[in-house]
Amino acid sequence: MIQLMDLRKRFGNLVAVDSITLTVEPGEVFGFLGPNGAGKTTTIKMMAGLIQPTSGRIVIHGWDLAEHSHEAKRVVGFIPDRPFLYEKLTALEFMKFIAGLYNLSSNGVEARMNYLFELFGIDEWKDELIESYSHGMKQRLVMAAAFIHHPKVIIVDEPMVGLDPQGAKLVKEVFREFCSEGNTVFMSTHTLEIAEEVCDRIAIIQEGRIIAVGNMRELKEKAGSEDKRLESIFFKLTGGEDVRKVVEALKR
Amino acid sequence: MREIGTLLKAKILSYKNSSQGEDTKYLLRFVVFFIVGVIFWCGIFLIFFKVLTYFSRIEVIGTLLASRLLSMVFLTIFSLLIFSNVITALSTYFLSDDLQLLNSLPLVPESLYASRFVETIAHSSWTAILFSLPVFFAYGLVYNASLAYYLTLVAVVIPFLFISAALGIILILVLVHTFPARRLKDIILLASIVLVGMVFLFIRFLKPERLVDPESFYLVMDYITELKVPTSQLIPSQWATNALSPFLFDYPEGSLFSILLLWSTGLALAVIGEWVFKKIYCDAWSKAQEARSAKLTRSRLLNRALEAVVRSLPSQVQVVVLKDIRMFLRDTNQWPQLFLICALVIIYIYNFSVLPLEKSPMPTFYLQNLISFINLGLAAFVISAIAVRFTFPSISLEGKSFWILKSSPLELRKLLWSKFWVNFFFLLIPAEILIITTDLLMNATQFMIWLSAITMGCMTFGITSMGIGLGTYFPRFKVENVSQIATGFGGMVYMITAISFIGVVVILEARPVYLFFMSKFKGLPLTRVEVAEIAVLLSVALALNLFAFLLPMKLGVKKLTRLEV
Repeated sequence: MIQLMDLRKRFGNLVAVDSITLTVEPGEVFGFLGPNGAGKTTTIKMMAGLIQPTSGRIVIHGWDLAEHSHEAKRVVGFIPDRPFLYEKLTALEFMKFIAGLYNLSSNGVEARMNYLFELFGIDEWKDELIESYSHGMKQRLVMAAAFIHHPKVIIVDEPMVGLDPQGAKLVKEVFREFCSEGNTVFMSTHTLEIAEEVCDRIAIIQEGRIIAVGNMRELKEKAGSEDKRLESIFFKLTGGEDVRKVVEALKR
Repeated sequence: MREIGTLLKAKILSYKNSSQGEDTKYLLRFVVFFIVGVIFWCGIFLIFFKVLTYFSRIEVIGTLLASRLLSMVFLTIFSLLIFSNVITALSTYFLSDDLQLLNSLPLVPESLYASRFVETIAHSSWTAILFSLPVFFAYGLVYNASLAYYLTLVAVVIPFLFISAALGIILILVLVHTFPARRLKDIILLASIVLVGMVFLFIRFLKPERLVDPESFYLVMDYITELKVPTSQLIPSQWATNALSPFLFDYPEGSLFSILLLWSTGLALAVIGEWVFKKIYCDAWSKAQEARSAKLTRSRLLNRALEAVVRSLPSQVQVVVLKDIRMFLRDTNQWPQLFLICALVIIYIYNFSVLPLEKSPMPTFYLQNLISFINLGLAAFVISAIAVRFTFPSISLEGKSFWILKSSPLELRKLLWSKFWVNFFFLLIPAEILIITTDLLMNATQFMIWLSAITMGCMTFGITSMGIGLGTYFPRFKVENVSQIATGFGGMVYMITAISFIGVVVILEARPVYLFFMSKFKGLPLTRVEVAEIAVLLSVALALNLFAFLLPMKLGVKKLTRLEV
């Protein structure tokens, strides 16, 4: 379970995240949508403990991130949008490194690593230096590493960037399977089809504020849209109708 | 020409924009850099001014010595520029992020070559030029040079820069084209070995010990002949010396020929560079993009040994230490620096082995201990120079991967302390070897050897702590080249702090050591006041060491906890 309470983040004069309050229940895949610069990555970075909120609270699986950051981080698996890794390590060494950071005892870790390498399709390349990996392979490795310690919550920023269709399908299945066991996924994405397909509930953020939250039916009602597709709802709520007009104008 | 201007303008704007938005910090950095730069600049000027004034008063050989010194200066600058250009050209022609975009554009190859040529010269040469200016000004002032000297200097320096840049660029183009990209490691290793070789050859070229020891020549004429022989007529540094000498030492005319030689060689090499670029750059660039390292050569024995060494540490510390060691061994970017420092340390130790202490008019016993005390300060300085290259960047080297540690349940305090201990032993071992070897080579007293070894051990705590702490306080996660971490503002703050710390500790110990030696020399016991004085000064030195050990780490932990990525 994730709780964001009146969460704010300022960078100088810019308010990147403005009083966000959200609750994500166990067993949910929660989608976090918004245009570029809306505050998605800032929110996610605060949840991962990479940046401090200006005010407000983040509670993950019952642990307040500010007061019990180690306990909270222990139950979180974080997947950033850009997989910056230790390029001079092999995938196997990297996984052992992550396992060590979580103090995982050697019993069963090897088996868990091999299972994850196989699941994410990087088994053959586990002894290669990460610097020789493609973007998609690095993304798969980060995902495998995020699951090594049996987390309760996965926080993921743009999970499908760099993944091939096979990889994207795999990730969707893994997330659904993970949540079916009572765990939580908090996912920001630009890919509306994926959000529509995978997420139980979706929040739309714009200029640092949540402008709508709910399942597809609730969002449709809120937007007053006749169209069932998330794309239409999203554009209606975020004022993206202008984009359509521009596209039409360019076609002429 | 327009394309070259556009390409250069993008770079200039990038530098300009990178300083905006942090006005106060930028100004502060600029002021500190400026002050240190001015002090350093004036220091060089004063040293050369004094030495040249002394030379100018010596009949006959004074001018010869000054001329030989000028040739040494040019040879030093030339060696530095070549190496600096090789390293910079690798970055500007092959590693820069913007090359992906530029190589996909319909650019004329000559434009890319020329714009990167200018960028390489600007990056690699500005410090060498800036800090060689006081030397040339000192020459001009001491030898009452006319305006023609300064104008000739400009005419000499420009082609001099062209020659070194073109040579560096041609060398790196050929190297990258010859070796597959996955063997970049070998290229850098090769460059490092060449560098070490160059340092030794350079020392041999100069033969400084012969110049200060005229007794080694049988006749005065031999000595003068040795001074008159130029370093080598085929080296551009000698042409530069020949071009300037007539304006300083009343040498027979010959300046124009040397200037023309410099210009024709500089321009010819720039054109040859362009020709080589057009022939092989596309191919070399393409090779550099290939996936590196098909196979990683890893010794199982080394891996097992490393794991065995760290086994007793807690799990979290163990994996961080293992990761750091592996990354260091595999990241060849740091190797040239390591090789260079090793070469300098060897030269440092060698110099102590040839010190002609027995020829000094001072008592050998007194002199040996005095020099071993100076050695303590110098050796600590060498260790802080190593620390600024390897310890100071510890946190910055986490780079863009720092999110992994920050989002993990690892306590950042533990992270910092694990880095501290690895670096402490990495510095302590060479520090003790350095100080004990040099003391033994000088036949220093047992007391002095013990005092130096203990003081060095204590100071290594402070030097390491300042390196880790200040390195965390001034992190640079987004540098293209590792060496930029040490040469930035934080690196400079570290060096100033470390040198001040070493200086104060040495000064605090100087008086007790003096009192101790004087009592030994006179054969009298120390008085009560002297004992009290020794105790107070040594206690203050110890307190300072403790302070230097604990405070930077505390600051570092605080900063690391607040650090946002």
